[in-house]
Amino acid sequence: MRNDMFSMLRRSPHCLQQARKSGSRLGAVLACLLIFFMAVPDMAMAYSDEELRNVAERLDAKSSTQKIEVIEEMAADGDPRVAPILRAMLEGDLYVRESDEHVVITRKQGKVYTHIDIVSGEEIGESGSKEISKIKVNNRLRGVLRDALATLNLFSPDLTTRTNAVEQIMDARDPAMLPLLLRAIDREEDETLLARMELARATMALAAGETTEERLAAIEVLSSETTPQIRAVLYQFVASAEAGGFEPEVIAAANDALESVEGRLSTWQTVGDVYRGISLGSVLLLAAVGLAITFGVMGVINMAHGEMIMIGAYTTFMVQQALGSFLPSGSAWSLAISVPAAFLVAGAVGVVIERSVIRFLYGRPLETLLATWGVSLVLQQAIRTIFGATNQQVTAPDFMSGAIEFSTGLVLTYNRLWIILFSIIVVAGIAAVLRYTAFGLQMRAVTQNRRMAGSVGIRTGYVDALTFGLGSGIAGIAGVALSQISNVSPNLGQTYIIDSFMVVVFGGVGNLWGTVLGAFSLGIVNKFLEPVAGAVLAKIFVLIALILFIQKRPKGLFALKGRAVEA
Amino acid sequence: MNKKLQALIGAGAMAVSAMAMSAAQAAETIKVGVLHSLSGTMAISETTLKDTVLMLVDDLNKNGGLLGKEVEAVVVDPASDWPLFAEKARELIEQEQVDVVFGCWTSVSRKSVLPVFEELNSMLFYPVQYEGEESSRNVFYTGAAPNQQAIPAVDYLMSEDGGSAERIVLLGTDYVYPRTTNKILRSYLNGKGISDEDIMENYTPFGHSDWQSIVADVKAFASAGKKTAVVSTINGDANVPFYKELANQGIKAEDIPVVAFSVGEEELAGIDTAPLVGHLAAWNYFQSVESDANAAFIEKWHAFIGDESRVTNDPMEATYIGFNMWKQAVEQAGTTDVDAVRQAMYGQEVANLTGGTAVMNTNHHLSKPVLIGEVQDNGQFDIVWETEGTVVGDAWSDFLPESAKLTADWTYPWVCGNCEKPMY
Amino acid sequence: MTDYRQKYQMTPVIGWLLNDRGGMILLGILIAAAILVPMSNLLLPESSAFHVPTWMVSLLGKYLCYALLALSVDLIWGFCGILSLGHGAFFALGGYAMGMYLMRQIGDRGVYGDPVLPDFMVFLNWQELPWYWYGFDMFWFAIVMAMFVPGLLAFVFGFLAFRSRVTGVYLSIITQAMTYALLLAFFRNDMGFGGNNGLTDFKDLLGYSLQSDGTRAGLFVASCVFLGICYVVARGITQSRLGKVLIAIRDAESRVRFTGYRVEYYKLFVFTVSAVMAGIAGALYVPQVGIINPGEFAPALSIEIVIWVAVGGRGTLYGAVLGAFIVNYAKTFFTGAMPDFWLFFLGGLFIAVTLFLPKGVIGAIPAFGSPDRQSIITAWRKRRANEGGKA
Repeated sequence: MRNDMFSMLRRSPHCLQQARKSGSRLGAVLACLLIFFMAVPDMAMAYSDEELRNVAERLDAKSSTQKIEVIEEMAADGDPRVAPILRAMLEGDLYVRESDEHVVITRKQGKVYTHIDIVSGEEIGESGSKEISKIKVNNRLRGVLRDALATLNLFSPDLTTRTNAVEQIMDARDPAMLPLLLRAIDREEDETLLARMELARATMALAAGETTEERLAAIEVLSSETTPQIRAVLYQFVASAEAGGFEPEVIAAANDALESVEGRLSTWQTVGDVYRGISLGSVLLLAAVGLAITFGVMGVINMAHGEMIMIGAYTTFMVQQALGSFLPSGSAWSLAISVPAAFLVAGAVGVVIERSVIRFLYGRPLETLLATWGVSLVLQQAIRTIFGATNQQVTAPDFMSGAIEFSTGLVLTYNRLWIILFSIIVVAGIAAVLRYTAFGLQMRAVTQNRRMAGSVGIRTGYVDALTFGLGSGIAGIAGVALSQISNVSPNLGQTYIIDSFMVVVFGGVGNLWGTVLGAFSLGIVNKFLEPVAGAVLAKIFVLIALILFIQKRPKGLFALKGRAVEA
Repeated sequence: MNKKLQALIGAGAMAVSAMAMSAAQAAETIKVGVLHSLSGTMAISETTLKDTVLMLVDDLNKNGGLLGKEVEAVVVDPASDWPLFAEKARELIEQEQVDVVFGCWTSVSRKSVLPVFEELNSMLFYPVQYEGEESSRNVFYTGAAPNQQAIPAVDYLMSEDGGSAERIVLLGTDYVYPRTTNKILRSYLNGKGISDEDIMENYTPFGHSDWQSIVADVKAFASAGKKTAVVSTINGDANVPFYKELANQGIKAEDIPVVAFSVGEEELAGIDTAPLVGHLAAWNYFQSVESDANAAFIEKWHAFIGDESRVTNDPMEATYIGFNMWKQAVEQAGTTDVDAVRQAMYGQEVANLTGGTAVMNTNHHLSKPVLIGEVQDNGQFDIVWETEGTVVGDAWSDFLPESAKLTADWTYPWVCGNCEKPMY
Repeated sequence: MTDYRQKYQMTPVIGWLLNDRGGMILLGILIAAAILVPMSNLLLPESSAFHVPTWMVSLLGKYLCYALLALSVDLIWGFCGILSLGHGAFFALGGYAMGMYLMRQIGDRGVYGDPVLPDFMVFLNWQELPWYWYGFDMFWFAIVMAMFVPGLLAFVFGFLAFRSRVTGVYLSIITQAMTYALLLAFFRNDMGFGGNNGLTDFKDLLGYSLQSDGTRAGLFVASCVFLGICYVVARGITQSRLGKVLIAIRDAESRVRFTGYRVEYYKLFVFTVSAVMAGIAGALYVPQVGIINPGEFAPALSIEIVIWVAVGGRGTLYGAVLGAFIVNYAKTFFTGAMPDFWLFFLGGLFIAVTLFLPKGVIGAIPAFGSPDRQSIITAWRKRRANEGGKA
């Protein structure tokens, strides 16, 4: 039965003509497929089990050109079992079993691969990696596979699958898919998706449309949207319009549309710059806020601050390792556990440093610089000796991977969003501790007037140790966040130490809000300069601006007033 | 009481000269200097190479040493401090009297030690891919020259299988290797019909950690409708945040493939690679290469380092090839004398780890195969393309007008690293 | 103890020099080294026990440059309370000036054989020499620039900073910002200073090959001489009336200002002099190590200079010299002897010095320590006792 249909398909002259005209083989096959669908509406073709196995085995061809032929052939067949095979191939889960040369879909768990039969869809055994060989895919194949899946999925009963398919078609913009899309538009009932489909149609109809009205209508649909793809479509059209011999009014309309789309996109670009600036600011803030306590409040020039961040990051690594080996089900919670763990570990290290070194040096800030520099060298080397000099892998939990993508090209990545939120929580927490707890009160008392605080019965040494511990612990927490965006290596701390000092000094030593404002303004200024001047120059400008700013306000944004300043 | 100060200074001076004394003894062993940073910013990459040399030395001694003598590795730490590299090189050669040195990673460290090696006529094996434009009598370059990495990679990107890229983004760290490589690539791409407006070049400082804007720019550049690919010469440390940003902003390899020249298994070890599948790297070796030599090497490495999860990478293979070539050349020459060994090096053949043969050419560069690998979700690379045979390393690029004229050939009648005509 | 000042009323310079015991020893050692080291290197056969090998001449020469750099930092930190965490910038600028001269001296012996352009410009397709490279083919010009450029930067920077009364850690951090900004700027290949690779592959200085033992010895002697001269200048400044004002500024800046002194001028003067000294140190350093690159601008290096001074003993001048030698020798020794663990020793050294030798190594030598000098721990115990065990 299927063979008959296929040969009928081949015999159709119109279809062959289409195949010759279109550059894309896949498009041609799909076009043929479409004609076939129209001719025999509800009769899905299907491979017999044996045929399916045979055709799938041909997927393991040598060259990608051969593989593409097979993929196209399979996609052109209406067999519902094709889509899972192609999806497995796209994801690199399609293997050939050495024992019987059968193609199987695998599911990997640890070192064991579970085999799933492509014909029945049932599990048919398992093996290690040695007994199976992967059907290799490259980027070209992935593109073809995704397009093929998109067309197969265009008629899927699942709305999300359909939506993704439409987005994929919009990316590919292959005019040969237009007839298929039109058919899908006829069938579609979901309003939102229908609008996307119309948009997708417009992207193709602009160049492929037959009449002036059709083109003008397409331009109107396009100009109502603000996405980089639309800009690209219009840009391409305008660039090729002269040669294409299109009507002047169409070209003019396209130019207008392009201008308005670009205008709106540049607004979004600014929004993006602000967001990236805030995000960079939040990273700077996290890195600096611990220093705002040890340096700002206690006056200790803590050069080992960066190493506290590093300890926090390594604690995250350790927690993930421990969870991975003892409680795999809890890995999702690794960061939630890491935060208090990093606080305690880094805080404890901080208390040890304070008790063994720094307490002898109060009132001599420059000597604390010397000693803590020594501490930082020792800590770096200790980490290097224990963990090795190479990067350690800290995995991102699912809720921190990926991004919210707006169609306007603005991408808000989840990890950055979480870090912004996290930095706000941390600062709020510190502010609360300083303001509302007995410890915070004692801490402020000791830093303002040590002897008086001592006289009223505050154990100043104890408060000192805890304050330093708090600052270090917060640096440790920052390490948890930074492990998500940066290297976890012995050099981690060095990357952030200078920036941290700049932020604290810019904001005004001893003022938490100054640090917050300092971090965000440095971040945003940097991100606005970056697209204009490039990353290196932007950073140089920021540094020079900082130097000049300090001339204007020699005590930073928020200067402390009173006697404490002179001490 | 002045005497105390004098005594103190005297003691220091004596310690310095004592160091000198210890050098005089020796000669019962063959000494191999290891000049890789074990601390500072480069420790992250170079420590592995130090361990590789130690492993190779260990292995050699287990098999009876060299010329009947034991081989001793002398390790120093130049601490990612470039002038210290020169000082340590001098210390190794003059004071420790080593017969050969394996070391350096960055170009600047090599440039720093180069005058020392030339002055003292010693021998350095440099195992890292670099920008070319150099051929010293005293250095053997076992890493890739640009024509053994960059150009084949771009060819691949522009091929049908690589995605027929028509628009290229050149991202790099702002130092000599990316600058030179990108210069060569731009000239090459122009020759292939890609105009300057379809090439975007961007440089970032070392250790750049905030890639949001740049990744967004790349996305915008790629949205112009033509198929776009990224060529990355981003250096070590900055790669982890770069790839994390890439993954999070959802740049898929099918849409915008990134091919990197400085990212190997070691760099990927710090990243979850599942979202990066399909991005590319060009090297002369991947751990995933299936050959007996490679399997044996990996096994030996795991046994030596005591950690099954440690990966191998291209500079390690380059070290392996360099070390074995030196060993063979010493055996052939029957001495560790630098001049004799150098003569024996030319044409020296060693089995590489990818199942072929590496040959040392008279321009001090190797013939190597070029492989292009795709990142897999397990942090390894799947080889998607490789050259038919090996490619001869080219010290002087043909795509830079000034350097195209120059020839490096250290045998008669040229005997020169950068000449327009033979010396003799 | 004889007060030489009274004895030599007519020649105050010799007077205070003779009163300065540490300085006398330092100058004595420098003179001896400047004569003996090159002699033993050049004249004695290698087999002789007293032969100083060439690598040690270079190494000692390098230490001397570091010592001069430390001296310049001690002049402002020890005597005027200006803690510069960016002095490496002046050092590097001086080095670059010398490096540019050495680059121009290569002439057509570069790999591309271009008579004017340095190699790195040729392969980046630069067509002509940037204007700021003009003049550096003349030695005197390079030397002037090695002092003038750091001096000018220090003058402008200091003028702005001291005028607006930026003090303490704020000053330290913006000096750090300055050197960091310069680091990034010099990294850029577009700047025309060779980017990260910097300037290297030097051939000769004033026509003498840099590879020859004679030139090395000459540079060593020059380093000794300049360190000696700068020491005398620095000592002269601190001994003069101006020096007294500087010390007063260090100890109570506001009070000095209220007394009617223009504090900023004093600071500006000494800061500029110190930067010029750092520039000289850089210019001497580059031909001896054979490379100058942006790494010298690294903030960490500038912090390390301060540490040399602290280790040796702040506010003594000769202490800074001693500190530079101790720390750098320790670095040389440990990176070779214990490559995997040397940072533990270096870090430990810094901690130990701060805790147990608050006046540096010099302060621990009774001849140089005043009776009230004591370790911080002792001081802390006393303070604790005074506070009635509360602290």
